[in-house]
Amino acid sequence: MSERKPDDLERPETVNSSRRCFLKRSAQIAGGIAIASIQSVASPPAILAADPKAPLKPEDRMKYLFVQREHCTGCRSCEYACSQYHEKGAVRPAVARVHVKRFHGVVDVPVICWHCEDSPCVKACPTNPKAIAKDKDTNVIKYIDDKTCLGAKCNKCIEACPAQFLRRHPETGWPMFCDLCDGDPECVKACKAQAEDTAAVIRTNKAGFGVNLAYREVTPKEAAKALHTSLFYPNKDGERR
Amino acid sequence: MAEPKGGYFGKMLEIDLTSGKTQVRSLDEGILRDYIGGEGLGAYLLYKELPAKTDPLSPQNIFMFLTGPFNGTACPSTRLNVSFKSPHTGIYGHSQVGGPIGNEFKWAGWDVVMLKGKSPKPVYIAITNDKVELRDAAPIWGKDTYETEEFMKKDLKDDEYKTMVIGPAGERMVYYSCIIVDRFRAAGRSGGGAVLGSKNVKGIAVKGTKSVPMVNVEAFNKAAKEAWQLASTVEAWQGIKRWGTGGLMEFANYVSGSLVTKNYQTTWYPDVTMIGGEEASRTFWKRHVSCPGCPVHCMKLGVIRTGGKYDGLIAEGPEYETGVLMGSNLGLTEFDEYMKGIETCDALGLDTISTGNVLGFTTEVLEKGLITPADLDGLKPTWGDGETYLKLVNKIALKEGKAGEFLSLGVKRMADKIGKDAHKYAIHVKGQELAAHDPRGFKPRGYSYAMGQLGGCHHEGNSPEGQALWAYLSSMVMCSFVAGVPWTKRNPGIVCDMLNPMTGWDTTPEEYWTTAKRIITVMRAFNIREGGVSRKDDILPVRLRTEPLPEGPMKGAVYSDEDTKKMQDSYYAYYGWDDNGIPTEETLKKLKLDFTVADVRKK
Repeated sequence: MSERKPDDLERPETVNSSRRCFLKRSAQIAGGIAIASIQSVASPPAILAADPKAPLKPEDRMKYLFVQREHCTGCRSCEYACSQYHEKGAVRPAVARVHVKRFHGVVDVPVICWHCEDSPCVKACPTNPKAIAKDKDTNVIKYIDDKTCLGAKCNKCIEACPAQFLRRHPETGWPMFCDLCDGDPECVKACKAQAEDTAAVIRTNKAGFGVNLAYREVTPKEAAKALHTSLFYPNKDGERR
Repeated sequence: MAEPKGGYFGKMLEIDLTSGKTQVRSLDEGILRDYIGGEGLGAYLLYKELPAKTDPLSPQNIFMFLTGPFNGTACPSTRLNVSFKSPHTGIYGHSQVGGPIGNEFKWAGWDVVMLKGKSPKPVYIAITNDKVELRDAAPIWGKDTYETEEFMKKDLKDDEYKTMVIGPAGERMVYYSCIIVDRFRAAGRSGGGAVLGSKNVKGIAVKGTKSVPMVNVEAFNKAAKEAWQLASTVEAWQGIKRWGTGGLMEFANYVSGSLVTKNYQTTWYPDVTMIGGEEASRTFWKRHVSCPGCPVHCMKLGVIRTGGKYDGLIAEGPEYETGVLMGSNLGLTEFDEYMKGIETCDALGLDTISTGNVLGFTTEVLEKGLITPADLDGLKPTWGDGETYLKLVNKIALKEGKAGEFLSLGVKRMADKIGKDAHKYAIHVKGQELAAHDPRGFKPRGYSYAMGQLGGCHHEGNSPEGQALWAYLSSMVMCSFVAGVPWTKRNPGIVCDMLNPMTGWDTTPEEYWTTAKRIITVMRAFNIREGGVSRKDDILPVRLRTEPLPEGPMKGAVYSDEDTKKMQDSYYAYYGWDDNGIPTEETLKKLKLDFTVADVRKK
């Protein structure tokens, strides 16, 4: 999949109208992943393993993230791990790339970068040359030239992200992109360690098989509504009596 | 005055609600090291800043939001502490609450936020890092906690704010009203909601983007990982992960014989199977919810899906204390009515522990003929009558009618008002209603209720040493499910291992215990100054001392006078207090509490 050039894969125009069946199918696929992963949880919590600093070989690098939203407990260990990786050990969820939003106090929605093949954020970048590009080897968005990005003056990539993943750095105003922690995502390890007796929410993979393109269309708010309905099914009188 | 190097920002935000002016005050590193934060720092600041004998519901009372050194770091499950002079007990009041808001205070750069004075009109406070706003709360005054939280996030146009609010009960200054975080978590005890209500503060919304300064972040994170692992793997907690504390209801009935039932008349309640953790797990719960970084995820959310009047109701719990006091204590068997009662308390901002006690007490004194239905607006609560209890809960929160006014007083004041032998049925210590483990069945809990500085609180530790340990943990504002039992093997070493690299201090286990004793003693000094507390107050209610348990696994158990004497003597000896429960001058000076000597040793 990574051999294809990003530009070859246009975002299908019909994705919104056919989202339902698309999601149904991808949910089945995601369910399959979940069962396989639960059975394979035998290793000690990754969070406790010594940090192997050696860079991963290209074939070992992870290229995609997934979430299984219904298992999220809102513990935010993914935010902690993300900021610790990017901020030299400091916990600072305000600069975490992955983030969890809580809706109505009852559902938690983890928001991740789906690492879309067609990179709507890159397409939307208005500068010439573009400030960001997709790195073909690692499948992450990188800044080409720090000085090109317009930062707080521009909102194009943030608006273009269908999953509403992109947030600004509170000081620099730059959008923060997921770099998959150089192929070994910390959020995935933290979630797996935290979830040993429920089920891990954030997962990672080397192949994307299209799920990411369907799922990414769901905004956090829509995801929250879907979770709310599937978990708590509010009736016609609203959820509270 | 030294600035702290790590772990703290060393800053306190003081908001004068009367004038709307704010002031940034520095916190001295020495004071932080002596009192740590949370409960301890709150007691110290209150002792220093609050004029003696202040009316708790007057504008002069001080309300504080306090964090600890570990808030907002890799240490799992840090909470928020609120401290104030309690309107319910007239002594030191503090309460701790989970959820994400504690860390947010820290990330906004504040170790302490202190409220003084009284706002001329209803407001809520919005803190965004250094920016502080008092915003109009007129549209939400009178609204329940959930609507208030949703309004604040909409009003601020940002749902990343973390909120903490009071309900209608707090606005009306019900003595045992609570403060709600994230819809279902409550800083319940001591009536903090009433203090905020008296100040015309509907709630607070906080958002922070900073990170906590550290001296040696690598060493700290290593110790924090160990702390996390201890909490994640401790065997005793695997049940808490699965059933929350609700699962303890069955345990307390069948094994420990401490399940409070029908206003502490017994601890045997076979119907617990209809309201306990297993029933909830089978028919109600839908998901686990965690506090930040916490591997225990003890909170369970569910929805009533068995049809009936409350079909579709989303609620949290039952937790142990809440489930028992609002369940077996009232003889309830209908799961949906019972959850509706709990959810109503959360929505209206009432402490479920005190509310359950008040309803149980009311039922019993009505049964015994000490009051008549005319005193309750014609309502006749009987054991198991969920509908009537629900009506009473609403009346209490709104202080509606004769029943509302009367029940909102709490059991001590109610018993005083009824007179006769009503005090026999009033289950409280120092004016605060007891929680849900009957100390006849589970004797160590007697320490927490009788000797604890809050009165009637289940969260104070079950032995003299245990109270010192918990006082320190509450000052770090740690959750007892993470820092209590799971750390036992490594305490206080694990605390020192985290605290030292974070702050650059050289805290030893000896200093840990001294600091803990100082925190307990300064709270005691405050209670002596404000309430004249002494040995006579460190005692369990008369029912628990004179009526043996009639049935259940601990049949015949009673908290004898001998038990009481042993408890008091061992406690005073451990802390270096005299026979009357007053700290000696020597103890006070040894603990650097010289400023309290004049008040404490007053003849």
